[in-house]
Amino acid sequence: MIGSFRKKGLVAASAIVAIAGLALAAVPAQAREVGVTATSIKIGTTVPLTGIAGPGYAKVAPAMKAYFDYVNANGGINGRKIEFIIKDDRYLPPVSVEKTNELILKDKVFAIVGALGTANNLAVNSRVRLGSRGVPSLFVNTGFSGFADKKKFPTLFPLFSSYRMEAKIMGQYIKENFAGKKIGLIYQNDDFGADALKGFESAGVKFDVSLPYVSGTQGAATATTWIQKMAAAKVEVVYIFGVTTATAAAVGVAAAAGYKPQWIFGSVGADATTIVGQTTVPVALLNGALSMSFMPDAADTTDEYVKFFREVNTTYNNNATFDNNIMAGMNGAMMVAQALKAAGANPTRKSLIAAIESKGSTWASAGYPPIGFSSTSRVGYTGFWIGKYNLTGSLIPVEAKGTIFTTDSGNGPVVKTTSKRPALPAKGLPN
Amino acid sequence: MKTNIGKKTFVGLVSSALVALSLFVIPTSASANPVCATAGGIKSCQGKTSDGAGYVLQAPLNFNGTAFIYSKGYRYPISIPGVWDVAASSVAEQVPGPSAAIKQTTAVALLSKGYGLFSSAYAKTGWNADGALKTNVELIAIWKKEFPTTKKIVAWGESQGGFITQALAENNPGLIDAAVPLCMVGGSVEAALKMAGDALWGVKTFFDPTIKGGGYSAGAAGVGEQLIDIGKVAAALTALQGGLATGAWPATSKVPDAIKAAIPSRSALTMVGQMAGLPSISSHVDGVSGPGDEKSLAHAQFVAGAAPAIATLQNLSDAAVLGILLIADLEGINGGRVFDNNGVDYEKQLGDAKFVFSSALSGFDATDILLGVLKAAPRDTANPAALTKLRAMASHKGVVNVPTIAMTAPFETVTPGGHVQWLINANKANVAAAKAAAVKAIASGKPATTPKDNLMVIWNLPPAKYTTFTATGSPDTSGPAANGTKHCNYTSKQLVAMAEIGALAAADGKLPNAGTVRSLMRKAGGLSFDRTFEAALLKFYATE
Repeated sequence: MIGSFRKKGLVAASAIVAIAGLALAAVPAQAREVGVTATSIKIGTTVPLTGIAGPGYAKVAPAMKAYFDYVNANGGINGRKIEFIIKDDRYLPPVSVEKTNELILKDKVFAIVGALGTANNLAVNSRVRLGSRGVPSLFVNTGFSGFADKKKFPTLFPLFSSYRMEAKIMGQYIKENFAGKKIGLIYQNDDFGADALKGFESAGVKFDVSLPYVSGTQGAATATTWIQKMAAAKVEVVYIFGVTTATAAAVGVAAAAGYKPQWIFGSVGADATTIVGQTTVPVALLNGALSMSFMPDAADTTDEYVKFFREVNTTYNNNATFDNNIMAGMNGAMMVAQALKAAGANPTRKSLIAAIESKGSTWASAGYPPIGFSSTSRVGYTGFWIGKYNLTGSLIPVEAKGTIFTTDSGNGPVVKTTSKRPALPAKGLPN
Repeated sequence: MKTNIGKKTFVGLVSSALVALSLFVIPTSASANPVCATAGGIKSCQGKTSDGAGYVLQAPLNFNGTAFIYSKGYRYPISIPGVWDVAASSVAEQVPGPSAAIKQTTAVALLSKGYGLFSSAYAKTGWNADGALKTNVELIAIWKKEFPTTKKIVAWGESQGGFITQALAENNPGLIDAAVPLCMVGGSVEAALKMAGDALWGVKTFFDPTIKGGGYSAGAAGVGEQLIDIGKVAAALTALQGGLATGAWPATSKVPDAIKAAIPSRSALTMVGQMAGLPSISSHVDGVSGPGDEKSLAHAQFVAGAAPAIATLQNLSDAAVLGILLIADLEGINGGRVFDNNGVDYEKQLGDAKFVFSSALSGFDATDILLGVLKAAPRDTANPAALTKLRAMASHKGVVNVPTIAMTAPFETVTPGGHVQWLINANKANVAAAKAAAVKAIASGKPATTPKDNLMVIWNLPPAKYTTFTATGSPDTSGPAANGTKHCNYTSKQLVAMAEIGALAAADGKLPNAGTVRSLMRKAGGLSFDRTFEAALLKFYATE
């Protein structure tokens, strides 16, 4: 503490040292960032392993771990092994808050990665205050467009193309291909669904029947009321913008009732393996259903990323049934590994964020659309390709392979273009 | 001065001495010298300050030179038959604690360690921070006169007493060496008034518009009105409890039938709690546990849809009753209505709860409909003169002049962690401003003093999971409240640990190091020291 010195020079010199010391006191010289040791980097995630959204999404985090195990087996990141902690939040926002607090306070992770769910991530950012605590949250598994707001979510990076983009692109497709038909929408009545509604509004799509559902109620009983209402209104095209369990419930009930509309599945609720696993309907029943994706279909073994992720899955993920959830998990993990590498030999939370802002848009990933990260943008992928399910549950592009539709989360146009995705790096490891 | 009495025997004697306090004759005239007696190795004195507040002074014969002045919390200013008696609550309480037994254990432990304890009953019950500040200043002088070997004074207090403690440290830093505000009201009483007032107004608007909720008459008539309101709130909450499973609304609700048919009452209940800023967990509901198999739909629906409403129900009884009594109390003090919610944007206040508790609120559409009910409802208007007087009452600047160790539970019912969060934020801003001023002074060649951050906050956090369920799948509320829930619900071990941390700070003139604090906290259990933890700000501050 500085007293009231009388000699001017002494006052100035001592005070500067002391004031500087105030700032330095919090971080001792040579100190490593939370969660980083000489040999490891600790990161964690919250995802539903069980509960209402567990089917399908439970495969995301183990897939991430499989990729990290592969990286570790190949020397880790800058000589450090990735230690990955998975917490089951059952898709319940209060549980996500509790588990994220555990990751930060008890496990002391360097960063949160791949946390899943719109309401879950909103709750965590609001109640755990990741931004003001400076805790990075990388590549969240949700397409809520609001997460691209850097001011509101300064440490969060979305990766998925947004629900608004999806609704705009599919909205345009609906207008071009189903004009004059009766169209219905089933959507989750929270920010997840509300984001899509804004996109449909931008696209100028109006639904003849619109049925919101409260998250957690998407069982067979609720689906029965949806199908009864859709069938009674003679709806010909039904768009389900919900989690996979909602899609599965609707398809299952409709099949039992003999109701056969043109289905359109929102991208996050569209994994064929999961849908079929949740119902008694054969996969062939999905034939002709439309959906969208920003990544190649999990069944497309001609794609170098799919091929590579399948190899990792075989060796490091107990050869789990490979699907789009595993693809999403490994793809996100690959982005995380590149971010950790780019954060430098002595990574800090700040250097991690800076690395994504400066280089993230150039990193290798399976996604077809360009990535929009920059010092001013937190937008991840910027578009989708549209596909139709075949008899075996594979999503086949409706346009030439590699054709994508890009847009923004505002009122910008939908542009048809061709993907210029970076090639898979050597051995699928960060450069 | 030391005795050779063994510790075990000494504890027993101290207990006897505390009980013997009631045998004292309290001086009838204010400011008369205290009447003292020594028993069981404890010198105990009683007297009255110049404002007529009764006080108690106690120190062991081996007094170690550090004394604690305790400021008790808000005591209801009216009697509630069968529940609360004003006369019985108008006494000095030597130490904090949620029960007489915990107070006794805490006092015995501290006296046994050689500390002195003193406190006043205040000159009146109800909100009395301005008066209590003067009482405490006078009382410290009385203590020092009676116990001239005193070296350090630690101020501590609970709830309103925490507010008084912080105010004492801000206004009279020379009189105390450390402060330990517990479950404090932070900033101003208006912050507490707003939370309780919003909760009461929400109950009134959704469930029983005949609740008066303010503008209480003076005297006995006003007491009667308050008791009637308390009865109506209790009836509404009982009806809501009955409607948790069915969705039924209380018969007294005047919300349009179409809304009541479409939206379950538990969603309106959840909205009241969340827009007022009440915690979403309660004494027996942890917000993450459910009955049966965790993988089942029923489990998820309970956690997402029912648990927030049940927790709100448990918390709301405290908040709404406090609303009635605090509003009436502050109206009486300031001469008119003081709660004003004109222009309050309850959607803004609901904030992130709209998506965090989307299921409990029955989705966005239902939420918007319920917000519409609040928007259309008549608002309360304060008397401008009374409001001006209220705002002139004692308040905090957020300046931390002496080493201060605050303890609070982020999710407690009456004074949630947002009160302390206000102090943290204000202190941070004040320290930053002082640093900037020091740098500026140095740059211009003037002497400067490096500002110190004198604030440490210890969080009383509940366990991650503590809800147990009955055979029928309802939360079992028969056991004790979980650590970190209810109001000022501390154990004796936690209180003694806080006292010892305060004593260390007073002795050294600075905050104890983190290692020492953590060691004491570990022994006490249920406490957390994390500088990065942030509690949700009260709506009063968050929507400023």
